[in-house]
Amino acid sequence: MLQSGLVKYLRDGKGFEGTLIVAAVLYLLVFAAFPLIYTVVMSFQEVDMFTLGTLVRPFAGLTNYTDLFHRPEFAPIVWNTMIFVTLSIAFQLTIGFALALFFLQDFPGSTYVRGLFLAGWILPALVVGAVWRWIFAGDFGVLNYALQSLGLIDGQIYWLSDPAYALYSVIIANIWLGIPFNMILLSVGLAGIPGDVYEAAEMDGANVIQRFLTITLPMMGPTLGAVVALGVIFTLQQFDLVAALTQGGPANASNVAQYWSWQMSFQTYEISGGATVATMMIALVIVVAVIYVRSVQREQSF
Amino acid sequence: MKRYLLLAFALLFAAIYLFPVYWMYATALKTSGSIFKYPPELWPSEPLVQVSRVFAEHDIGRYLWNSLLVASGITAITMLLGTGAAYALANARGAKANVALFLVIVLQVLPPSLMVTPLFVAFNHVGLLDYPRTAVVLATAAKTLAFYIVLCRATFTQVPRELKDAALVDGNSHLGAFFLIILPLARNGILITSVLVFLQSFGEYVYSRSFIATRELQTATVNLATYLSANSADWVGLMNYAGIYVAPILIVFILLQRQIVTGLTSGALK
Repeated sequence: MLQSGLVKYLRDGKGFEGTLIVAAVLYLLVFAAFPLIYTVVMSFQEVDMFTLGTLVRPFAGLTNYTDLFHRPEFAPIVWNTMIFVTLSIAFQLTIGFALALFFLQDFPGSTYVRGLFLAGWILPALVVGAVWRWIFAGDFGVLNYALQSLGLIDGQIYWLSDPAYALYSVIIANIWLGIPFNMILLSVGLAGIPGDVYEAAEMDGANVIQRFLTITLPMMGPTLGAVVALGVIFTLQQFDLVAALTQGGPANASNVAQYWSWQMSFQTYEISGGATVATMMIALVIVVAVIYVRSVQREQSF
Repeated sequence: MKRYLLLAFALLFAAIYLFPVYWMYATALKTSGSIFKYPPELWPSEPLVQVSRVFAEHDIGRYLWNSLLVASGITAITMLLGTGAAYALANARGAKANVALFLVIVLQVLPPSLMVTPLFVAFNHVGLLDYPRTAVVLATAAKTLAFYIVLCRATFTQVPRELKDAALVDGNSHLGAFFLIILPLARNGILITSVLVFLQSFGEYVYSRSFIATRELQTATVNLATYLSANSADWVGLMNYAGIYVAPILIVFILLQRQIVTGLTSGALK
């Protein structure tokens, strides 16, 4: 009796759809929300190789945080992370926007050729990192050769082992990875601007630059905001490139927070430290995500 | 005339952008002596196919198999849990549904390199690390599930509501309407999103690197990374390895390019 009632509930009415949502949400709660909370808990505990297996660990208060702030590498890594995010997004967005505008023009095969760029998005970042490592190679690398042929540099640049260049090498590879996604999203935004707005402006005598500044940019505002927010989120996820190119070296010159957290947990086994960095970074990512979701939802309600 | 000039420029931009992919395969065809020439040969002067030698030498088949297993597991869990949830969320209205959708989107953005610490400790408690590939599947599916729900939900919102209502009027249950009417209509979107999930999982690195301690169980990303740090001068071997690894990905991409672009653009901003 009870069983047939349950079957009926699942087959009909709201029960079916409700169950579908609950199943997925439950999975996400166990494998995403729970670890999220657990990492916050661990950032207030002493966690190392000895207390790893126990559930009840000594409470550490804020010492994990104060220890972290007093480490000599803390400030440089925070600074690196900021440079990494800012430069990556600035160039991904500019190049992606320029390409999106270019491919908006009417010529044969434009959609197909534009789609070819997505090859960069679909390749595993670790493999992309391996290929860029070969391109960046100091003595026989093709990048140094190209720059020398163009007369831009004289000697060899040791991209990955010179502390002055290591971070920028990772950023260059990351810009390469991010261009296609930016371009595709911005293309969608551009396609949404009605053509007659441009025609009207053209009849009023507005030139290309005026049309870009007075029509394209303002109408692309919401899309640009969403793309920047997604850019921050994706850039803070970038781990594989750092692992393939520099492993944060030399001497943390190219280390960023998301890699540092992993290094502490899995290479030096300072698990509290890793959890503490993770807590702060996750808080940052969630703030950006909430801003992004709310702006997209407000957009849709119009 | 101007249109063909634009096409020429477009091809030039694409060629510059895709140069790293070309360089990977060009290097894979060079001899180990000729890669250390300066200036480098932009075109391999004496091309040498070394794929099968590298494949056997590094036991690449084993690691590709592990990657395939992991990616299949992730895709299966994602499709199983995600399809229904995406459909229900496309229909649902009200505060509860909004909270669920919000949760899904926010949980999608959590960086794996930061989530791996608590997951490792928790998996260690419950003994899941004894089954490292399962651990990778379970952890990664949490990430792909959210991505899948967001994209598939966009597909389901494009299926007209009236079709489902008509099916219900005709005497179908909600279950029947979902399987017989809605799923076939949304099939293309579901398949493309699943392909994207599979391709992403096939290149997963953070969780595999952190959970899988046994060499024989490593995925191809982890094995390639190990090889990269141990023999960083064997570029011919490395580029062959990388080229073999991404060849299936590139083939799927070329075949489904148009659908992938459409699938991404329809759901990514919503």
